[in-house]
Amino acid sequence: MIIAKRLSIWIALLGVGFTIWALLGANKKDPMPTPISEPPRSPYDHVVAASGIIEAVNENVRIAPPVAGLITKMFVKVGDQVTTQAPLFQLDDRELRAQLLTREAAIPPLQAQIDEQNYKIGDLETQLHRLQSVHDERAVSEDDLKRTWYALEMAKRGGQRLQASLKQAMAQRDEAAILLNRLTVRAPRSGTILQINVRAGEYATLGPSEPLMLLGETGQLQVRADIDEVNAPLVTPQAGGTASIKSLADRKIPLTFVRIEPYVIPKKSLTGENTERVDTRVLQVIYRFERPSFPVYAGQQVDVFIERQPSRTTGETPSSPVTPTERPL
Amino acid sequence: MNYVALKMLFGDRAKYLMLLCGLTFAVMLIVQQGSIFWGLMMWSQANISNLNVPIWVTDPGIAQVDEVKPIASTGVDRVRSVDGVEWAVPLYKGLLRARLADGDYHQITLTGLESATLIGRPAQILEGRFEDILQPDAVVLDQWAVERMGGPAVVKVGTIFELNDKLARVVAIAKTQKSFTNIPVVYTTYERAMRYVPRERRTLSYVLAKAKDGVRVEDVVQRIRTQTGLGAFTEEEFGWKTIMWVLKNTGIGINFGTTILLGFIVGMAIAGQTFYLFTVENLRQFGALKAMGASTFTLARMILLQAFTVGLTGYGVGIGLATVFGFLTASGGNLPFAETWQLLLMVLVALLAICTFSALISIIKLARLEPAIVFR
Repeated sequence: MIIAKRLSIWIALLGVGFTIWALLGANKKDPMPTPISEPPRSPYDHVVAASGIIEAVNENVRIAPPVAGLITKMFVKVGDQVTTQAPLFQLDDRELRAQLLTREAAIPPLQAQIDEQNYKIGDLETQLHRLQSVHDERAVSEDDLKRTWYALEMAKRGGQRLQASLKQAMAQRDEAAILLNRLTVRAPRSGTILQINVRAGEYATLGPSEPLMLLGETGQLQVRADIDEVNAPLVTPQAGGTASIKSLADRKIPLTFVRIEPYVIPKKSLTGENTERVDTRVLQVIYRFERPSFPVYAGQQVDVFIERQPSRTTGETPSSPVTPTERPL
Repeated sequence: MNYVALKMLFGDRAKYLMLLCGLTFAVMLIVQQGSIFWGLMMWSQANISNLNVPIWVTDPGIAQVDEVKPIASTGVDRVRSVDGVEWAVPLYKGLLRARLADGDYHQITLTGLESATLIGRPAQILEGRFEDILQPDAVVLDQWAVERMGGPAVVKVGTIFELNDKLARVVAIAKTQKSFTNIPVVYTTYERAMRYVPRERRTLSYVLAKAKDGVRVEDVVQRIRTQTGLGAFTEEEFGWKTIMWVLKNTGIGINFGTTILLGFIVGMAIAGQTFYLFTVENLRQFGALKAMGASTFTLARMILLQAFTVGLTGYGVGIGLATVFGFLTASGGNLPFAETWQLLLMVLVALLAICTFSALISIIKLARLEPAIVFR
């Protein structure tokens, strides 16, 4: 064939071939690099997603001092298990102890006075007794008898007054003792010390932004899930859910519904910002879970997926999800 | 008769080469200009294609990828709540200033990837390990950042610079497609990006998502739009949105468009004219054939065969040369060049049309030809 003899035809074929090869190479899109860990995926078809935080079942207790004062001694350290009424830390009590000393010292003189008064009463009683036993009106005047009787009654009242003073002094001593006792801050309930933010020698102020000490029960943990208020109507009570901690998204932790917090609060950023910023309001749902085989800690962030019914078709008013049983009649 | 036609075409070597050269350069001009234009458009959406995720969610009023309008950080959970979404992760994207040790300032694009999965990271790493981004203060640069900030002598793995007065340490250098604006890209984790950027009420720039297997991406995008009220786009849609924005808001569309159009017209005019001249010069031979008793139909078939043969040959050589040009100049990524089959097909159709058109003119001339002209 005449065509096959021409170089230009071969060059043209070569050009087409090269172009096809280049196009196939260039337009091939690289696949997305595999994520270094699995992204959190929903196990259900219809979900409400939320970001959650793991916390102790009984909300953490932010231990506060009864009065502002210097901390002299810490009885516990982070991680300690404490029982109810176990001492946590000691505030400076020297002033009250000094007061207690003077109050205690006020009691013995009063007791001595009472003893003294008792002897006086005894003496007067004997006198009165003797005067009464004499029946001769000439030997004992009516006046003497009356006078002795009055003296005795006054001595008795004096004794009562001293008793009252003693009681007062003892109450004052007890007051100082109770106030002194108050300076030892004790655990309101048993739990684990999660956080200590003060040391001996520091000054405990009232109402600090940071709790002096955080007490919680880490034996049982729960998840507090934040749901955007826009999605709040989609949440049904008793809905199942799963949670996964960041970077272990393929290990799901099954969740059991506990309750929906009835008050929608401004969102505290749990997604890692440097300061907490409020940008939207969130509905909080509490879930219980069994401890998984891998370690989880209170305060850890989790991605939560809550099962959702496919979009509601009936127009009936749904019952309030917050208090399903206790609705006003 | 076909043999005679081809013999006529190839017989005069000089004439044939001239004809072929005209067609080849016309094709090459159009393909090369078109590819550069399209390459530039690809650059303008490089910030989308470099992340390589199927669904982008952000504020519905977004105009293009670099004009970030942050949304509330619960957006991630809202997108995750939509049926058919397999996963959704946050992305931070914003402009920031980087200050190098020598005092130079550079505007950079800070890209914060979700730390657990690093979804959206570049596929190819030139130096270092991308996973090292999880170390304290670590950032990853793209190769263009290295180029813009003073070359490998100034910026390399281990270099320390400041981002908004905070420490950043380069742990890897990634290979990405160059972007139109060519602002250096600094990758870090989403959480760390929050630390680098000045305080804003809303910080989540984009939610990146993927549809579940077996669910159409368009359906999921539509569902995200109606259910969350956010703007959701597929990667292609968002890319087109960005390209359209560039065409509308910069001079590139008009400037390049007229250049390409001129190239196209000039190329096609040369092709048509050369071929027409060729047939006109061969009119005597055709007249001889006609005198020998060849029908006008046979002659028309011969001319069309000649036209398509030289047209296709010129096309083949032309696109081959254009591809070689693109291959040699654009392989480093420094010149925008993106050849597409659509462009090649368009050029082929146009070329064959112009060849047919000029052949038709010659045929009309031939039909009116008196065979006696040969003997005059």
